Amino acid sequence: MKAASDQKSITVGFVGNPNCGKTTLFNALTGASLKVANWPGVTVERVEGEAKYRSQRIKVIDLPGIYSLTSYSIEEKVSRRCVMGEEVDVIVNVVDASSLERNLYLTLQLLELGKPVILALNMMDIVEERGLEIDLHRLPEMLGGIPVVPVSARKRTGLEVLLHAVVHHSEEGLHSQVMFYSKGLEARIAKTEDALNKKYGKLPNARWMAIKELDFDEEITKNYPLDLPGVLDESYEKQIINEKYDYIEEIMEECMVNKEKKAASTERIDRWMTHRIWGVPIFLGILALVFFLTFTIGDFLKGYFETGLEWFSGQTLLLMQNIGAADWLVSLIVDGIIAGVGGILTFLPNIFILFLALAFLEDSGYMARVAYVMDDIMGRVGLSGKAFLPMVLGFGCTVPAVMATRGLESERDRRRTILITPFMSCSARLPVYVLFASVFFGNKAMFVAYSLYVIGVLMAIAVALVVDRLSPKKLENALLIELPEYKTPNARTIAIYVWEKIKDYLTKAGTTIFIASIVLWFVLNFNFSGMVTEVSDSFGAMLGHALVPILAPAGLGVWQIAVALISGLSAKEVVVSSCSVLFGISNINSAYGMTALSGVLGSQGFGPLNAYAFMLFCLLYTPCVAAIGTIRRETHSLKWTAGMVLFQLLLAWTAAVLVYQIGGLFL
Amino acid sequence: MTLTEGKIGCVYQVERLQVKENVTRRLEALGVNEQTKITILNNKRNGSTIIRVRGTRLALGRLITDGIFIKEVQG
Repeated sequence: MKAASDQKSITVGFVGNPNCGKTTLFNALTGASLKVANWPGVTVERVEGEAKYRSQRIKVIDLPGIYSLTSYSIEEKVSRRCVMGEEVDVIVNVVDASSLERNLYLTLQLLELGKPVILALNMMDIVEERGLEIDLHRLPEMLGGIPVVPVSARKRTGLEVLLHAVVHHSEEGLHSQVMFYSKGLEARIAKTEDALNKKYGKLPNARWMAIKELDFDEEITKNYPLDLPGVLDESYEKQIINEKYDYIEEIMEECMVNKEKKAASTERIDRWMTHRIWGVPIFLGILALVFFLTFTIGDFLKGYFETGLEWFSGQTLLLMQNIGAADWLVSLIVDGIIAGVGGILTFLPNIFILFLALAFLEDSGYMARVAYVMDDIMGRVGLSGKAFLPMVLGFGCTVPAVMATRGLESERDRRRTILITPFMSCSARLPVYVLFASVFFGNKAMFVAYSLYVIGVLMAIAVALVVDRLSPKKLENALLIELPEYKTPNARTIAIYVWEKIKDYLTKAGTTIFIASIVLWFVLNFNFSGMVTEVSDSFGAMLGHALVPILAPAGLGVWQIAVALISGLSAKEVVVSSCSVLFGISNINSAYGMTALSGVLGSQGFGPLNAYAFMLFCLLYTPCVAAIGTIRRETHSLKWTAGMVLFQLLLAWTAAVLVYQIGGLFL
Repeated sequence: MTLTEGKIGCVYQVERLQVKENVTRRLEALGVNEQTKITILNNKRNGSTIIRVRGTRLALGRLITDGIFIKEVQG
C-alpha cells in the first residue's frame, strides 16, 4: 500500500438506470444537496463532487440515468462518453435492487467495457419490505467476482463499505469475463477483435468494441471502420440483447428468492391514479389542492411577516432620522430597498407551501403518472405525455423546467415544449396574483388566481395545437417512461428540495430584486437635471407615459403599471416590489398597503377588470431574463429565442386587450 | 393482435416488435423482447398502455403499442 500523501485521487463514475438513486447516493457521499425526486430523468447533466475514505480523496461524478450504453439519447451520450473516457478509474454501477432484472442489463454492458466495476445494490429496504431475498454470495459469482455492496442511500447505510470497495478495487486487476454468448456469436466477436487489434493496434477494450461493431453502433463504426465480409454482415444487436437477457434470467433464477411474493400496493394505487376516466380529474384535483394550500396556509403565516416588516421599516426610518441621515439616503433605503425587497419577503410563506407541495408530488412517484395521464391530451397537440413533466415543473420555476426538456427524445419535441413551458405560471408570478387578486377581488381572490393557472395550462395546450397544425412534422416519439414505485416522501429529500428553493428566493430578493429596487428608485427620483421632487417628472414617468398609448386598450394605461411591467422582466416578483416603490406604499402586502394600492389605482379608473387584464398580461408575457437566458442556451438559437419573446409579448397584449374590451361590454 | 388491443389484467407474450428502429432498441434494452411475458395493468382509449415487464412498470404511447404484437398466454 502506498503512502497516503502520494496517492493520486481516484475518479469514480456513478452509472445506473434512471431513478435508481444515484443522486441520493451522490448527495450522501459528498455532502452535496442536488435535487432528487422519484421520477426518471431528474439529473440531466454530469455533476462532480468529492468524498474521502480515510486519507484517500475520491472524485465522484454523478451521471444522468441510462438504460443502456447505446447512443440514442442526450443522456446516454453524456454518460457513455464519460465512463468510456480515461478520466473515470472505477465505475460504480448503482442498481435498484427492487427491479434487479431490468437493472442488470446495463450492468452486463458495463462489465464488458474493461474497467473496474462495483455494484452498489441500492433500495435493499424495499426488497426486504416486499419479502424478497437476494443471494449476495451467488450474485457476485455470476458477475465475474466484482464487489457487490448493499447500500441504502436514503438511510445512509453501507456508504463506508462502498468507498472502501472503490479504493481497494481501483488497485486490483480486472474482473474475469462474465458473459459468454452463443458459439456463433463468440466466434464473430473473436474474429472482429482480431481485426480491430490488427488495424488499430492493441486496444484496451477490444472485446467491447468488437461487440459494438457487431451491434452496428453509430459512434464505433464511424471511428473504427472495419470491413469484414462474412463476419460483420448484418447487425447482431437484437441477438446480443436477447442473449444478455437470457443470462439475466439465469441470474434471477439463481439469486432471487421468493420471487413471486410481490407487494402490489403501487399497482393498487395506480388503478385509480391512472384510471382511464378518473386519471385527469384526480390530477386536476391534486393541482387544485396544491394551490388551495398555497393560498390559505400561506396567507395564514403571512401576517407575522408583515408585522415584522412594518416594525423594521419604522425603526429604520426613526434611526436614520435620529442620526440625521440625508433625505435622499432615507428615501433610498426606506422607500426603495425596504419597500422593494421587504415587500417580496412577505410572500415567502406562499412560496414555501407551493414548493413543499411540489416536492411531495415529485418525491411520491406521482410525476411519472402525470405523463401517462396527460398522454392523450398532449397527443392531440402533437406531443407525448412526457412533455408534460417539464410543464409541471414550470409551476415552480421556468429555468429548471426548460432544462428538464432534455429528457425528450427529439429536437422538435424539445422546442415545442420549451415554447409552451413559460405559460405555466411560475412561483414568481404568485406574488402578483396574491396581491392583485386580494386587492381587487376580496374573498374571491383564490378562484381568480386559480383561473389564471388554468388559463396558463390551456394557453400552453392551445399554442402547441396551433404550432402542430401549422407544422407538418408529426409526432415520432411516443410516450415511453418507467413508472416508479410509490413511496412515502423522504423528509430529508423534501427538506433539501424546499430549502434550495427558499434559498433561491432569498438570494433573488437579495440580488436581482435588491438591484432592481435601487435602479427603480433612481429612475423614479431623477431626470436629466438631477433629483426631482415630483415623481411625474422622472425618467420612469417619461418611459411609462410613452408606453401608455400602447397599453391603454388592454386597460393598463397607467404609467406606473407600464413601468412595473418593464421592471418585471428582471424577475416577475419585481412587478410587485415595483408597485411598492412606484406608489410609495411601504408594506404593500398588508391590509393597509392593499387599501392604499386600491385607492391610488382606483382613482385612476383601474378596477377589477383592469386588474384581471394586468394579471393575465403578467402570466403570458415574456418570462424573466434568467429564463430567457436558459432558453437561448438550451435551444442554441438566438433567433428562435428572440422570436419567442416577441410572440409572447404579442400574445399577452392581445389576450389582455380581448379580456378588457370584451369584459367591458358586460361589466 | 397488438398491445393496443390487449385487455387490462391479462398476461401476454411478445411475438414481435414492429416499431421504429431506435424505439425497438430502447424497448429491448428495457427488457421487452420477443417471448417476454408482459401484463397489462391499465390502458386508455387513445391506446396508451401501462404494462408490467420484468418486475417494472412501463407506460407506452400508442405509436409504440400499435407496433408490439402479442399473443395471449395463461397467467
